[in-house]
This record gives sequence, structure tokens and C-alpha cells, in this order.
Amino acid sequence: MESRILKPILAVYVALFILFLYGPFVVLTILSFQQGPEGGPQFPIVEWSTYWYRHIFGLTEASRVAPLPIGTSMVRSLTLAFMTMVTSTVLGVMSAQAFRNKFKGSDFVFYLIVLGMITPGLLTGLGVALVSRNIFNVDRHWWSTAFVSHVVYTFPFAFLVMLAILNRFDASVEEASWSLGVSPIRTFRKVTFPLVFPGVLSSMLFAFTLSYDEFSRTLLSSNEQTLPLAIYGTFAVEIHPNLFAFGVLTTLFSFSLLAVYAILMALSVRRAKKVAIQEEIA
Amino acid sequence: MTAAAHIFRLDSVSKRYGETVALDNINLSVDRNEYVSLLGPSGFGKTVLLRTIAGFEAPDEGRIEVNGVDVSSLPAHKRGIGFVFQNFALFPHLTVADNIGFGLANRDVPAGKDEIATRVNDIIKLVGLEGLAARGVGQISGGQKQRVALARTLITEPKLILLDEPLGALDANLRGRMRNELRAIRERLGVTFLHVTGSETEALAMGDRIIVLDHGHIAQFDIPDTVYSAPATPNVAKFLNRYNVFDGSVSGTSFKTEYGDLAFTQKTKSDRPAYAVRYDRVAVDADESAGKGPSVPASFVASEYLGSSIMYFFEAMGGKVIEVEHHLSNGAPKTFDTEKSYRLRWKPEDAIVFG
Amino acid sequence: MAVPAKTSSSTAWLLIAPGVLWMTLFLVIPIAMIVYVSFWTQTTFKIEPTLTLASWQQFFGSDTYLTSLWTTVRIWLIVLAATLVIGYPTALYVGLFVKSKTLSTILLVVCVIPFWTSFLIRVLAWRPMLGKEGAINIVLQYFGIVDHPIEALLFTELSVIIGMTQIYCVFMVGPIAFMLGRIDPNIIEASRDLGAGFWRIFRKIIFPLSLPGVVVGAIFVSVMVLGEFATASALSGRKVNLLGNIIVTQVGSLKWALASVVGVILTIIMGIVVSLFLRVVDLRREL
Repeated sequence: MESRILKPILAVYVALFILFLYGPFVVLTILSFQQGPEGGPQFPIVEWSTYWYRHIFGLTEASRVAPLPIGTSMVRSLTLAFMTMVTSTVLGVMSAQAFRNKFKGSDFVFYLIVLGMITPGLLTGLGVALVSRNIFNVDRHWWSTAFVSHVVYTFPFAFLVMLAILNRFDASVEEASWSLGVSPIRTFRKVTFPLVFPGVLSSMLFAFTLSYDEFSRTLLSSNEQTLPLAIYGTFAVEIHPNLFAFGVLTTLFSFSLLAVYAILMALSVRRAKKVAIQEEIA
Repeated sequence: MTAAAHIFRLDSVSKRYGETVALDNINLSVDRNEYVSLLGPSGFGKTVLLRTIAGFEAPDEGRIEVNGVDVSSLPAHKRGIGFVFQNFALFPHLTVADNIGFGLANRDVPAGKDEIATRVNDIIKLVGLEGLAARGVGQISGGQKQRVALARTLITEPKLILLDEPLGALDANLRGRMRNELRAIRERLGVTFLHVTGSETEALAMGDRIIVLDHGHIAQFDIPDTVYSAPATPNVAKFLNRYNVFDGSVSGTSFKTEYGDLAFTQKTKSDRPAYAVRYDRVAVDADESAGKGPSVPASFVASEYLGSSIMYFFEAMGGKVIEVEHHLSNGAPKTFDTEKSYRLRWKPEDAIVFG
Repeated sequence: MAVPAKTSSSTAWLLIAPGVLWMTLFLVIPIAMIVYVSFWTQTTFKIEPTLTLASWQQFFGSDTYLTSLWTTVRIWLIVLAATLVIGYPTALYVGLFVKSKTLSTILLVVCVIPFWTSFLIRVLAWRPMLGKEGAINIVLQYFGIVDHPIEALLFTELSVIIGMTQIYCVFMVGPIAFMLGRIDPNIIEASRDLGAGFWRIFRKIIFPLSLPGVVVGAIFVSVMVLGEFATASALSGRKVNLLGNIIVTQVGSLKWALASVVGVILTIIMGIVVSLFLRVVDLRREL
């Protein structure tokens, strides 16, 4: 039938689509092995080399190409991402927990929170900058103004993930815990939290990666450079393959982060089953 | 301390959800050390009543007293009431032993490790879960889950345990066994069980007393024998699933229905007139003439073999189904013809009339 | 209802209060501030809270700014259409045609993986693709499709559109594939048994059921494209000026009032677009 023709066509299409998604990155990876320091960010490859990787770590002799200003900015980005992750996950869990009860104004609050993720970063950044400049008259820093605008962005994601998890959560285990004389706070710690932990992990992952990569909010709300801002800064001047090499490295870093997440996830799923399986074998 | 005779008492407890009245001015008091079944069709407030006593829901009005103490404003974890859920609600991330010891280990003043271990062991023996202590709760059968749920509650030594359709998730075989076990365990520990069920046989079999809940109010609260042989309202008769109930009106010593006037001897006071006769008090007569005594013409539809008895389904005028139960100890099963009409008869003194 | 009804509302508000406070302080007030500052008086390096329409007049009196407003809307519409057209077939395959749950998960993960590369690097990666000596021109010349490299590929509006489409089209694929995955295959099977052709089934069943996904995807894409500036500055060689680029340059030269005017205009466009989309679908119910 028609789907018999359509399915292979679509399969080929999807393959092309994936090529479209990955093509630029493949080209970028190839060019990161360009000869240096003379080789430019374009074809042809003069000679294969790891020059630009060494360049990033300052392992090459000084040349006309300045090293990427990534040292401190990377530390800032990681710290900021961590702060953002913790704050938005805590806020997300609390808010989603609140949404388990129908309360007055819940629709309004829902849209208020979601607004944070659908407001373009530039606007949040501009607004926060204006408020800090003209109302409080305080300086803008990555750990203050940029941090709050990052949380505005990531908190809705954490909230929606937790909301989806808690919607599927069977509340009777909590009631069971209360009926055993366990206080609601301890119940949350001992029952609810362990059971929704996979969701918490996902929220954390979301918040961390979004914040780590965020730059339009940071651009206007921080005086200091974070990693994305450092990269953005190189746009204006001539680019060199060191930026490509750096892209490859950050991608590898992201994958290791993703791998940690996957392992934690697998562990938390397996932990409960493990004891039982051992029992089964014995 | 003088302990009150009752373990808990409800004083004019009401609860509404928008337009629907879930609990309508409930007054109830249940004694210590007794097994009470709470019967009523689903959606008639049974679970709400249980959850209100447990503290999972707050009543709109009224007062709840447990162990002589007003608990109306106490949160669930301070009421000292056990609760067994229909879906068991075990903690999926904990082992059987950790599930059972959970209450002891996590209350405001936690018990010591050794004490918990000893008591968990004792209770595991009591409910028959030996050898399963280290299992995850996903790795045990439905009946075992039921025992864990019960053990988990029993170990906290509540004086009152509420059971919300605790046997509903088990298959028929297991249900029979668990009925006996529940009764035995309760008697051994001397606690009060309030057991919600939608099954009239379960209610009759298990309760020392039975509460029948009808549209949010208590229709009858009595020992099984009385509830069974003298239902207090037409609806109680209906819920028992043992009575043919006819609508109509009382006129002297007969009851006017669309199937004719039905004679009776005694009458119970009720808002709604109704005429009830137990399934096993109805006899089938091939002779269609009205004759003496109450009777209804009907045609045979089907029969169902139940082991110790057989049920015959007849259809009267307007599609009204009348059930007749024939105990096999009273003779071999009879066969009826679907083509033919019959006369269903009973003695006037077997009729229960409300009016 | 987990908590007794009487206390539930206050407990909920206690839990929600920090979040609401955060969003009010750091989102609502800042946006209100943008509106307010757009009416302030701008001098060379300072702004003063004396209310004036000067910045607004400056915006609407300048061809440059009006052009960038038009460019922003045009690029938004083109990218929105492109992501939908390019993304939908992929979503159709992933969400509906792939029977194995594992395979469809793998495909979705494959689509999402690029997101763990920095956004800016992904934008930048288009330069060696589209340039005069870029990969595309090399391939085209190799196969003899063109004699001379196409120069129009990079540093034009086209390169901005290509870049944005690639980066944002996954936001279209995800929600649509999710909605398609929820369609009960029996419905499609049944209508096929009734003799309906694929095109008819698509029009009558598949597309309407995937519509919430399309709307959610469209909201994502719209919001991101309308607030864009980095792709334009990286791939257009400063030829394409979006509203976002104006905000960035104006802030750079401390023209906060004009930047705020552009911010307000962007907010208004965004508000109209999102509320139009939400009219089609109740976002909260879909989530």
C-alpha cells in the first residue's frame, strides 16, 4: 500500500535530515585538525595536525593568533551553571509539589512560570540590566544579575519536568507513610523524593546545560564574560580553527556530562531492584 | 486514665464536593476490639468516610474523636490510625523488611535499630512472610503484598485500622484465605478493624457489626444477622443483593405494585415505600392462576449454578428481573421453560415491607 | 488530594511563593521596567526618568529600524515555515512510522544530541559549510553541478535562514513526534480498512491530532527566532539586522531608551504571536 512506498521514502528523508543536523559539525571537526598557525578556518586542509588543540591549552609557541580567553570564563560558567541548577531545581520541585493541590490562582501562576521560558533571553537580560542599573544602582555580575536571569529561564523547565513526574505519582504511598505516623516533611524526604528522583535528575540536567550554554541573558546582565560570551566575543574578529577545536572539546565534555547523567539514572533505577535480584539468585 | 468504651466516634460529620454530598451528618461510634464492615455501593461515600477518619480529608463540619481524644484538627500522622490501601501503596523503592519497619524507623521518635529488627521479625512471622524480608516489593505476589501492607500497619500498633477494600485487588481464591487471616490476626491483636467493602458477602462474613452507607448517611449499623434478615431500608435490602425489591404503595395489609397487590404481615417504618422478599423465599409455580397469598407472574429467562444453590432469573412485566434462589440441600434443581409463564409465590410473613 | 482540603491552599501558596516571588522580581518587574524606560529621556551617555516619546519617534522615524522590524518578521515567518516543512516529515517518521519504541527513542536522541554542543559553535559551524571555499561549494563543484562557487551562500539573509532552520527545527520535530506517538494506531488501521488513502487519513486524522505539537513547536521556534541576534551577527556579515541586533548595539552604546523601545516592540510581537497560537491549543492541558 501507500505506506509501503512512503515509509522508505521517509526513512531516506530522515537520513538526509540527520545529515543536515550533523553536517556542519562534521565539517567543523574536520577543520579543527587544520594545520597551524597559518591554516585558516576553511578548506582545503593544508596538512592534518593537532596544532589547534594544543593551541587551546597554551602548548604551542606564541603566534599572531591569540589564545582563546577561556580559563576564567569557563570556571565562571561552570559555577554559574551549578548555582542555577540547584536553585531552579529546588524552585521547580517546590512549585510542582504545590501544583498537586488545586489552589486559587494556579492557572495564573502556571503561565507566570512558563513565561520565563518563552520570554526571549534578550528581553530578560535587558530588563534585569535596567532594573539593576536604574532602580538599585548595582553593578551587574555573573553571580548576581546574570544568575537570577538564568534561573528565570531554567526554573520553568525544571518545573514542567517535575510537574509531569508528579502527575504520574501515586499519592497513596504518601498517605500510607502519614498513616504510619511519619510526618509530611519526613515523608517527602523518605518516600516522595526518592521516587521522583529520576525527574529531579532530569531537571538538574536541563538547568545545567541551559545555563552553561546561555548567552543572550548573560550578555546584557553580566559585566564579566562567561564561556559563551567569550566565544561570542570572537565573532567580531577573525576566527581561527582553534574555535573549532574548542567546539569539539566542549561537545566531548557535554557528552561526558550526559554519560554521568545516564549512569546516575541507570543506578537509581537499578538500586531498588538490585537487592531483590540478589535474593532471587541466593 | 479511663478509656472510653468506643475507639472512635463521629459527631455530625459532613462533607461535600461541590454539589455532591459525600457524607451527610454522620454520627457513629465503634467499640474497641471489634471488626466492623462498612458496606455500600461504590460512590456512596465509603472511601470518603474512611479517608476523613484517617485525616487524609478534612470534614466540612463535625467532630472526630479517636481514643477519647478530639482529632478533628490533627494531621494524619498524629492520629495513630492505621490505613490499608486497596492498591497496597507499598513503598516501591524499599524491601519488604524496610517497608514493614518504615513507621518505626521514621516517626518523630524513631525506634532503635535492634528493636526495629526484632519487631519486624516478629510481625513477619505473624503474617507469614518468612524468607521474603530482603525482597523488593515488586518481586512478591499480590497476597504477599497484602500481608506487607498489613504488617507495615500492625507494627506501629494502632488501636484502629482502616482497611479500604483490602481484598479488592486479590483473586477469588486468595480473597477467601485472606478473609480468615484478617479475622484471626485482628482477634490476636485486639485492635479494631473498620473494613470497607463493596461486597455484601464479604461484609456479612467478616464484620462483627456492619455499617451500611447509603448516599452519605448511615442506613443501618447492626450485627450481620439483623442486617441480613431485617434490612432497615429498601436500599439496604437492595445492597445486600439478596432481596427482590418492588416499588409501590402501602394500602392496608397489602402493597400495591404494578404486578398486583402483594400481601404482608409486618411493616417497617421508612420514607420510601417498598416491598422486599428474599431470593430464597420465593417459590416457582407452573400454575399461572393468582391463587392465595402474594405472587407475581413472570417468565423464565436463565439460570446460574452456584455450587450449593442455583439462581433462577425471571422477568416480570416491564422487564423487572426477579431472582429466585434454590438451595440444593432442599432438593434437585428444577428446569423451567423459557417459552412458558410461571407464577412466583411466597408467604406473606416472609415479606419485608417499608412504608 | 494529598493534603486535607482546608490547609491545602495555604500550603500550596507557601510552596509556590518563592517561585512566584522570583518570577515577579526578576521577570515581571524587569519587563515592566523596559516599558517604563522606553519613555525616558536619552542624552548621549545617560538616561533620565523624564517621560518623553523621543525614542519612540526615533524608532518609527528611521528607515533602518523599520527595515529591521520588517526583516525580523520576514525571517521569522520563513524560518517558521521552513522548520515546519522540514521537520514534519521527520516527526511523521519518528512518531508514527517507526513501530519500535527503541528506534524512535534513538532517533529522537540523535536529533537532540547537537544541543550538547554550544549554540554559538553550532552557528559558527555553518561558516566552513557555506563559505566560498566551503564544504557545500566543494561538493557542488566536484559533481560539476556548478562551475563557479556560489557566493550567495554565506554572509547573506539566506545563510541566516539556513542556520536558524537547522538549529531550531528540532524544536518542531520533538513536540510533533510526541503528539504523533500518542495516536492510537488502531484509529489509522480502522480508517485504512474503510478504504481511506494515506493522504485522506493524513488530512482527516493525523494532522489534526498532531496540531497541538505543531503549535507548541511553533511557539518554541517563534520565541527563539524573534529574540535572535547571534546567528545574524555570525552568518550575515552584519548585512542582516534583526530587532535583537539593534538591542545589543544600542545597549553597547548605552542607548538604553532606544533599546527599551525595541524591547517593547519585540514583547508586543511576541505577545500577539504566542496568544494567537494559544488560541488554537490549551498549552496547559497538553502538558
